[in-house]
Amino acid sequence: MIGGEEFRRHCIAAAMLAAALLALALSGYAGRDRLAEIAILAIFAMSLDVLVGFTGLVSLGHALFFGLGAYALAAFTTMLKLAPSLAIPLAVFAAGLAAFLVGILAIRVKGVFFIMITLAFGQMGWAYFQRSRGFGGIGGISGVGQLDLDAIGLSLANPADMALIAIVSAALVYLALARVTASPFGRMLVAIHQNESRARALGLPVQRYKLAAFTLAGAAAGFAGVLAAERTSFVSPDLLVWTVSGEVLIMVIVGGLGTLVGPALGAAIWVLLRDNLSGLTPYWMLAMGLFFVAAVLFADEGLYGLASRIPWTRRRRPGNA
Amino acid sequence: MDIADLATQALNGLQFAMLLFLLAVGLSVVFGLMNFVNLAHGTLYMVGAFVGFSVATRTGSYWAALAAGPIAAALLGAAFYFLLLKRMQAAGPMKQVLVTFGLIFVGIDSVRWIWGEDSQSILAPTVFGESAQFLGLVYPSYRLFIIALGLAVALLLHLGLERTRLGAVVRAGVDDPVTASSLGINVDLAFFGVFCLGCALAGLGGVVAAPVLQVYPGMDVAILIPTLIVVVVGGPGRLSGAFWGALLIGMADTFGKVLIPDFSSFMIYAVMALVLLLRPSGLLAARHGA
Amino acid sequence: MLEARGLRKSFGALEATRDVSLALPEGARHAVVGPNGSGKTTLFNLLTGELRPDEGKVLLNGRDITDLPPNARARAGLTRSFQKNNLFLDLTARENLAIALAIGERAGTVFWRRFERMPGLLARAEALGERLRLADALDAPVRTLPYGTQRQLEVGLALAIEPKVLLLDEPTAGMSAEETRAMTALIAELPREIAVLVIEHDMEVVFEIAERVTVLDYGSILAEGTPQEVRSTEAVRRRYLGERAP
Repeated sequence: MIGGEEFRRHCIAAAMLAAALLALALSGYAGRDRLAEIAILAIFAMSLDVLVGFTGLVSLGHALFFGLGAYALAAFTTMLKLAPSLAIPLAVFAAGLAAFLVGILAIRVKGVFFIMITLAFGQMGWAYFQRSRGFGGIGGISGVGQLDLDAIGLSLANPADMALIAIVSAALVYLALARVTASPFGRMLVAIHQNESRARALGLPVQRYKLAAFTLAGAAAGFAGVLAAERTSFVSPDLLVWTVSGEVLIMVIVGGLGTLVGPALGAAIWVLLRDNLSGLTPYWMLAMGLFFVAAVLFADEGLYGLASRIPWTRRRRPGNA
Repeated sequence: MDIADLATQALNGLQFAMLLFLLAVGLSVVFGLMNFVNLAHGTLYMVGAFVGFSVATRTGSYWAALAAGPIAAALLGAAFYFLLLKRMQAAGPMKQVLVTFGLIFVGIDSVRWIWGEDSQSILAPTVFGESAQFLGLVYPSYRLFIIALGLAVALLLHLGLERTRLGAVVRAGVDDPVTASSLGINVDLAFFGVFCLGCALAGLGGVVAAPVLQVYPGMDVAILIPTLIVVVVGGPGRLSGAFWGALLIGMADTFGKVLIPDFSSFMIYAVMALVLLLRPSGLLAARHGA
Repeated sequence: MLEARGLRKSFGALEATRDVSLALPEGARHAVVGPNGSGKTTLFNLLTGELRPDEGKVLLNGRDITDLPPNARARAGLTRSFQKNNLFLDLTARENLAIALAIGERAGTVFWRRFERMPGLLARAEALGERLRLADALDAPVRTLPYGTQRQLEVGLALAIEPKVLLLDEPTAGMSAEETRAMTALIAELPREIAVLVIEHDMEVVFEIAERVTVLDYGSILAEGTPQEVRSTEAVRRRYLGERAP
């Protein structure tokens, strides 16, 4: 039996998937590229939601793992000459491993301290790739190997195919994360978010769960990074800059913390806003900053809260408000 | 590296440390008092530098700039306090911190809007034009001024904390905010004062740094990260934490750049990681558990 | 079962706990009483691991647990309820109990199965809810529940992990007479094998449930014995019972 809340989320997710596929069928080159970008950012945002929305760990350095996934793929395919089919899972693993190592240090502190640490680590990653000659410095690395999907008649170089793969990936990631967050493990994360000290007093080894959440979020972000690298065949330090960490956090907050679909929606809205606003003014960071402040102050349940008010997503359950 | 080089680098490290101290002390004490970190603290540093630049250009006086920077930063901080921070008291520290993160974006583009994209600089006053010579060493006297200024500020703050009533309130507030407020002192006003002082110091840092570092939109985040690391390493809430933390990070960064250029940026993160591993509440933490 | 030996704890100049020793055998019903500030909650914090003692040891079934953090002690069978309600406020009472049960069963490592499908979990949460007389309040967010009901849940969460030693910190704090009766009945119904240590201000409750009483004053033990013995101890009458307005 699926609870009312979850059913609602799956409905919204299904609607989003349908809308994305429809848009894909109807759009031209630019539109397809956009869709791929939205799908990739949706994965990125959902990964952060696990950390922020479910576990309550606010990170301002999540772009680190996004970028690491991308760079790992670039390194594996261009330097180690591994086949993409091998490089991709390895890159995701690398991002997860990095998240594990950073996490060991970061979870030793809480709250505001944790925000500061993640911000610092994020910048560390950016500074490293900026200066590293081995990884191409500011210029980044191009020619990232793309996965050969001839067998199913697709080519990642083709924007329509790339968008399709990205959308399908996003759907799969949603299903996987939805499963994990609905599991006892996911409930433990919520318990930690709700009342860490009580969870500890009841016997939960809180630190282990936080680390697991951090690692999972990092690996998922790494997967998004891998897709981003596949999409453009190019990686650069721009993937890890602090503004990216801020942007993905906005997507999560605006979309609706702890809902998974909300952040995916947030990603879509953000990309659409950005595309339409950056034409209006060169000072779009100013607009973004104000938007961020407003989101923090006023977005209670975010876009998800709005979407839940649509009648057909409702399902009544006895006792459910 | 011979003795002269070592001494030069040590002085460089000390100079950078003093700059970091000016920024970190405000952030650290406010963190200890209000469990709140203004991530836009670097923005105040940047504004201080740019306002100083404008004043210096218009008046030709470095000293006018030195006064203008901190004042501008303090005013901006006060505006932020009244317009946003006070109204968000119920929202809790996490939301407050996130709001300041959003303000970083606003700050950078605002500076771009007013001053443009270009890098600027302020000329050091002519009194510091010559290099100082002592103990067989030649070193820019302006940098010595920075060191002296930093130490002077540290001393003044120390005396202020230990000898004045406001200082006693601040120390009490860091140790036990609940009791402090029940003592009937206008703790809110004291906190506001401390917050503005911290902002002013950040602005001062901006002007002071302008002749030696680049002034550009984005300098805020560049200095923010080392400052945050100082707060983490030194432990929030204590003047001594900000001071010794700044010294450690300033030296680590400077010597790191000289000794291992390839990994220079890593030194300060390595220090931070080490402290997190061994003493998560900071080397000289005032409070247990943040 | 639970033993404290020579516990000492100071906060700066304040000696909150001075050389306190306690022995709690299996099935004990033991109360800790004393005026405000006598160090009762500090003692609890030392026993459960939220605080480390400056001196002394805590032993559980002979095993030294002084260095174990709270979650490890809970896993070893020692847990507590809190003086101020410490619940998962935005979740329902049912979810609160289910989570506590899941923690107790170490079900958190399961990440692929749905929480609701964990065998028997929801059924046991329901049963526990009934035992706690919370049956009709199970599906409201805990935040919206009346104080007394929250308090029942507060104790219920601790019970959910089937502890061997249960520390209850002022379970009847802030309760009406009727709520107090319900809580007292709940405590009386606790499994006989559990060792129970209760901090209480309400002497009627103490006399009803406690077989032994320890009186604390300024961090040290003033008296210890059966309720009758303690009640008639001169030092106690003067210092504590005499001060309480009936």
